[in-house]
Amino acid sequence: MKKKSNKYLITALLIGLAFHGASIFFTLETTYDALIHLFFADHYSHNWFEPWNYKWYTGFSVMSYPPLVHQVIAGLSLIGGLKFGLFATALLGVILFITGVYRFSLLLSGNKVTAGYASILAVFSSSFVETLHVFGQLPSIIGISVLMHALPEVYLWLKTGKYRYLFTGLSLISVTVTSHHVTPIFGMVFFIFPLIGMVIMDVSKETVGTIKAVTFKLFVVSFFKLFKRIVSFGALSLIIIIGCILPYWINSKNNPITQVPIPHGSRDNFLEITSSGLVFFLIPWGCLLIILPYILYRYYSKRYLFFGLSISLLFVLGTGGTTPIPKIILGETAFNILTLDRFTLWASIMSLPIFGEFAYRFVEADLKQLIQHKFGAIYHGIIGAIIVGLFLFITVFTMSLGYFRPSQPQKIKMRPIVNFLNQDQHDQWRYLTLGFGDQMAWLSAQTNALTVDGNYHSARRLPELTTRPVERLENSKFKGVEGIGSLQQFLTVPEKYNLKYIFSNDKFYDPILYFCGWQRLQQLENGINVWERLNIPPISTVLPKDNVAKWQKILWGTLPFLTIIIAFILNIQLMWLRTLKTKLRTVPEYLKFRNNYASFSSVVLKTTHIWALLLAILFVYGLYKVYLKNNDHISPKNTVLAYYNALDFKAFKKAHSLINPKKKSSIAQYMLEISVSDGLLSSYAKLNAIKTTINFKNDSLATAKVVTNWITPLESIDKTDYKTLVKQNNKWYINIDDLNSYLPPDQLYSSNVTTYFNQGRRRITTEQTHHEDVLKQPVLEILSAKLVKFKTHYAIVGEVQNIDNVPADVVLKGTLYNNNNKALATYNAKYHLKHKLMPKETSSFKINFEGIAWSKTKDSIPKTFNPDEFTPVEFEEQPTKFNLQAAGNVSNSDLYKSFAINELNVSSNTISGSLFNSGTEEITIPQLLVSYYNLDKTLLWVDHLFLKDGIRQQRKKSFDYTILENEKITVINDDMSNCYVNGLPNKDIALKVIPNRIINHTQHQLQKINHPEYEFIKIEINAYIGNPK
Amino acid sequence: MKAKFIHITLICHLLSITAIAQIGLNPNAITILNTKNDFTAGDTIALRFTLPKGTKPNLYCTNSYGSTLISPSIKNQTLVYTLPKHISNKSGSIYWKLISHETSLSGQFNIRSKPNVASIETYIGPPSVQAGQNDYTMAVVIPTDTLDNPLNTNTKVTVKHQFLDTVVNATVINNNIIAYSNITSKQKSGRILISSEVLGKNSKEFTVDVLPSLPTNFTIGYNQNHSYADGNQITTFFTSTLKDRYGNTVIDGTYVTFFVRNKAGAVLKTFGTTINGVAKSEMLHPSNPESWTVKAFVNGMAESNTITLNYKEAIKTFNVHFSKNNRTITVGPLKSFMKQLIPDGLQVVAFVYKHNTLVHKYNGASKQGLVTFNLKKDLIKNDTYNIKIQVAGLEKTFNAKILW
Repeated sequence: MKKKSNKYLITALLIGLAFHGASIFFTLETTYDALIHLFFADHYSHNWFEPWNYKWYTGFSVMSYPPLVHQVIAGLSLIGGLKFGLFATALLGVILFITGVYRFSLLLSGNKVTAGYASILAVFSSSFVETLHVFGQLPSIIGISVLMHALPEVYLWLKTGKYRYLFTGLSLISVTVTSHHVTPIFGMVFFIFPLIGMVIMDVSKETVGTIKAVTFKLFVVSFFKLFKRIVSFGALSLIIIIGCILPYWINSKNNPITQVPIPHGSRDNFLEITSSGLVFFLIPWGCLLIILPYILYRYYSKRYLFFGLSISLLFVLGTGGTTPIPKIILGETAFNILTLDRFTLWASIMSLPIFGEFAYRFVEADLKQLIQHKFGAIYHGIIGAIIVGLFLFITVFTMSLGYFRPSQPQKIKMRPIVNFLNQDQHDQWRYLTLGFGDQMAWLSAQTNALTVDGNYHSARRLPELTTRPVERLENSKFKGVEGIGSLQQFLTVPEKYNLKYIFSNDKFYDPILYFCGWQRLQQLENGINVWERLNIPPISTVLPKDNVAKWQKILWGTLPFLTIIIAFILNIQLMWLRTLKTKLRTVPEYLKFRNNYASFSSVVLKTTHIWALLLAILFVYGLYKVYLKNNDHISPKNTVLAYYNALDFKAFKKAHSLINPKKKSSIAQYMLEISVSDGLLSSYAKLNAIKTTINFKNDSLATAKVVTNWITPLESIDKTDYKTLVKQNNKWYINIDDLNSYLPPDQLYSSNVTTYFNQGRRRITTEQTHHEDVLKQPVLEILSAKLVKFKTHYAIVGEVQNIDNVPADVVLKGTLYNNNNKALATYNAKYHLKHKLMPKETSSFKINFEGIAWSKTKDSIPKTFNPDEFTPVEFEEQPTKFNLQAAGNVSNSDLYKSFAINELNVSSNTISGSLFNSGTEEITIPQLLVSYYNLDKTLLWVDHLFLKDGIRQQRKKSFDYTILENEKITVINDDMSNCYVNGLPNKDIALKVIPNRIINHTQHQLQKINHPEYEFIKIEINAYIGNPK
Repeated sequence: MKAKFIHITLICHLLSITAIAQIGLNPNAITILNTKNDFTAGDTIALRFTLPKGTKPNLYCTNSYGSTLISPSIKNQTLVYTLPKHISNKSGSIYWKLISHETSLSGQFNIRSKPNVASIETYIGPPSVQAGQNDYTMAVVIPTDTLDNPLNTNTKVTVKHQFLDTVVNATVINNNIIAYSNITSKQKSGRILISSEVLGKNSKEFTVDVLPSLPTNFTIGYNQNHSYADGNQITTFFTSTLKDRYGNTVIDGTYVTFFVRNKAGAVLKTFGTTINGVAKSEMLHPSNPESWTVKAFVNGMAESNTITLNYKEAIKTFNVHFSKNNRTITVGPLKSFMKQLIPDGLQVVAFVYKHNTLVHKYNGASKQGLVTFNLKKDLIKNDTYNIKIQVAGLEKTFNAKILW
């Protein structure tokens, strides 16, 4: 008999390639992981045998991830570029997956038709679509696909004991290992163990004739009969798993993951965080949930019993933090490292053969007959249409998930950034991206420049990163306060990592950049803002790396491809034969255990019906809950919440629709009012928490106290509002407060300012700047500096003046020493300094010595961290001396000084007043620097206050500042002999420029206060202009 | 022409070579035939020795750039060692030694740079100096010949600089590769152009700016439309032209702080940067009658005289009206000095006291001369309160107001 090729499989492959092939170009690049794999591939394409990569995290080893998929992309990139390699590999993954499911199904059912059905369903499987098109986990897909190809070979080895099957099986497992390390390890437990159980069942059945006659005793006997094969296979697999990626294991041992776990949605409680439930449970299970009773029924039949246990375990593990069971099974550590979504992926893949079987029975076999017999043909048709419709809907929905809820910022054109880094030797410094999402990996792949950030969090090395649950600095705002806390350490002391350029795609970060002393350089043509920091040395030409033995490099570079070649040679003949049937050959053993579908159990049909009904009720109830939660007018609480959310997401039209229609102004007026309110709170704040208490409520009126917490890049803001709500036409609306009505006296203003332009190189050349074009560093003078102790932490406070004739950017770096001149800590001035000083301008400063936050107490990260707070360095020895290095560089930006303290009222514990913006720029974030003096007018402390609202041109804004509590400040050392300006001794250089300085010139202009510790204060103003005109 | 000249001198040199090493008695002994030990860079330099009977030794030759071995050629019964160009092109001392077992012969000669200039490297710094007598900038000149050898010591270098109408030529001597000249700052601010000349060749032009010195004391004044405390108009403060002790106007952008002390002793501040020596800064008029004492500073360097400004009261009196269960307080209409409605935005404050403890403070701004406060039930429960209203330094208190 000449065998035909399987038309279902061919159909599945054709549809699969067309469907995924067409859509992949629109989805893959916006997935979470694809670009990271692309970055790794780029590494291999340049340094095949060198595992050290300098581009991320100040260097890391690519031996921290199995190399096969990356190397395949790198290999293919030689033909058509990196992206070609990526897409080609993804399509390869699609083919492998469909054929893998076919072979796995065939192995289980022994029935080519059901296996064909399964392969078609696999094309549209929502978990597969999600893994490929939303997560972009190529290695995982290829790993599991190849593992499925390995299963029949393993079965045949165990069943027949023919060595060729052992080799083919092992060869495929080695490919799995080199593409994804987790897959074969868990695959052993969840796929191979049940398979072994099935083989033993089959052998037992052959002994007694029917599966029903198989007893436990017989099962044990058969097990010992096959024991040698099982053990030999297990031992060899173990050797392969360890041996094929030996450098990976060595690397993991040498660099154990000692970092704070990063939260992952798959570990959430899905009932509480429904979005995680949707993405990590509902979508991957999809339609399979409906036939779950059937799947369990089939898998708990005697032959598949072990698959039943396996899938039950996978199902439970996949529920993440919904139940405590996964944590108990896996243990705390593994639970926090693993992403649990892969268990659901495997469970859903394991369900596919049964799904195929169900589809076959429903479409053309006994189930069809049963339903038609019981309920009629029309019912069968309708049910079929519903299931197919639902199945396709989930698939389409999953694929376009990225469209509904974009996981990434808009696609960024990288060319201008790459060009910027290439020109003018900008790549001699490190850079950082902000708000790029996973696209930062694509940028890294295209440029030679290095970044301190990275996108593979297991390889993070810097303690500033590993002590935080922050996967990237780049998206630190989404990690709330820990993220911003981590970021600001890099921004304050950027010279530590030679970090000079920041590409910002999110204006949220602008204020923190400004107040840490960064300045705007330019906006690139793709809309990305470039920020730079002056006074940063370039990266040294020789960088440290962790070298590994040569044999490891050779093994790493050759073995993965070797596994493919060997697997190809061993299996390709079989592949051809099995799929296309060009030649007559013996029937594989497992086909002898062909399932026959004669009578569908009506109990199962009934159970499935009841189950489906239950699901439908649950679904409708869920929808109703969503409706209640999302209906903005149904209760005062909902209205308040909706209003604040609308403000948070800048959905002003929606916010306007929630305002009391009788009192509100037109949308045009409302938008106008919104557009004139700028500032930290209205432009840079993210709503973190909101608590609404309804104080009073009757039929038509309610009053609410709204306590909100906002995260801004600079500090966390708590705000309490009292809102009145009214009910009209059965809908609740909110009343809003009036705007300040101040009218400036003039309509048009003129003002003169001095502006500066720095040519850089005057000649257009790529040479290093000619000495004639090197500007003189502005001379600064440190007027006073002292080391003080406040509570438990130390700080250097003082005053610095720009005594030159050009505006200066000021960097102050303080170092503390003990009595034996041992350096204890180094840090830079952050918020407590006007970083830009005009000629002859003075600024108070304070340098806090920040330690790497929480490095000692990993598990006690405060729940309510304020970005403004910091972790003081823990000194083992007492600091007694200090060194202060001031560096001035000519700056031509952020020199706005047109403001005034227009009113001031001093009471015993507060200072209130108003600031007046007299210039032509809108001040987005005003900052007050408040210096405290004692009776002798000696500077003791410097504090600051960020005003929540901006100040428009020619307008004033009031402020309230709370005077510090009665904390004793001890002056430890006020010896200024170790103060240096631009590397020269402060005293000498100052004496040369100002020989006859009037000492303490403005001290009789200090503000007197009533305070037990301090006698005087001084207020200075610093202003961040968000949109310079 | 130049090439020909070199050629002729070269031949002369070769002819005039005489021995400087000692002549031995051994027939195998080698003696040098050259007499001259001073050469010019770029010449073909050949050392000639008598021809020995036995082996022909190599010549070891070293200068500050490196060392080399030279094998001989025989011409007219003499050993001739021609120095390679990379040695003969470099000025400086050259040491040589014959590598031979029989004789130990060594010596040294000098190569001088060519007597012409190909390039003049000039470094000047700092690029700006402060006006006066103390500050100076330094011009460093490094003239080199066509083979990039520094010119010989004692070569005369002229450093020229121009400032206003004067051009100064200073002759300095090249020593140890460089020649340098200090150019002292001037009393007037402006620009010094500097160039240098060596052996008839001139450098390009360099610039050093003389920037004004520190500001000296100055005076201040103010401008305003009227002197009423309406909280709306703007008073502009300005300085006289800030000059340094030499009469130069200080650099644009010089930062001046105006300290304003009010009646209550609070220190208000406003800031300005100079343009053509004049700094201006602005402040809103206060909303209360005020007396401001103003003095300006350039910190540590200069200060102004003290001036006093008086602001007259704009609002003489005001009305307060309670409505809606006494929960709505309307203040106004507020009238200014000509009985016109006060411009929008005048601050009005309402204090709500319960038994002399402040319950809440409301800030309001006038609109069309009126200010309305709504006392919400959440904050102000139904009770009896004392309410104080402050407008432009005036105050009205309403005791025992019942809110319901």
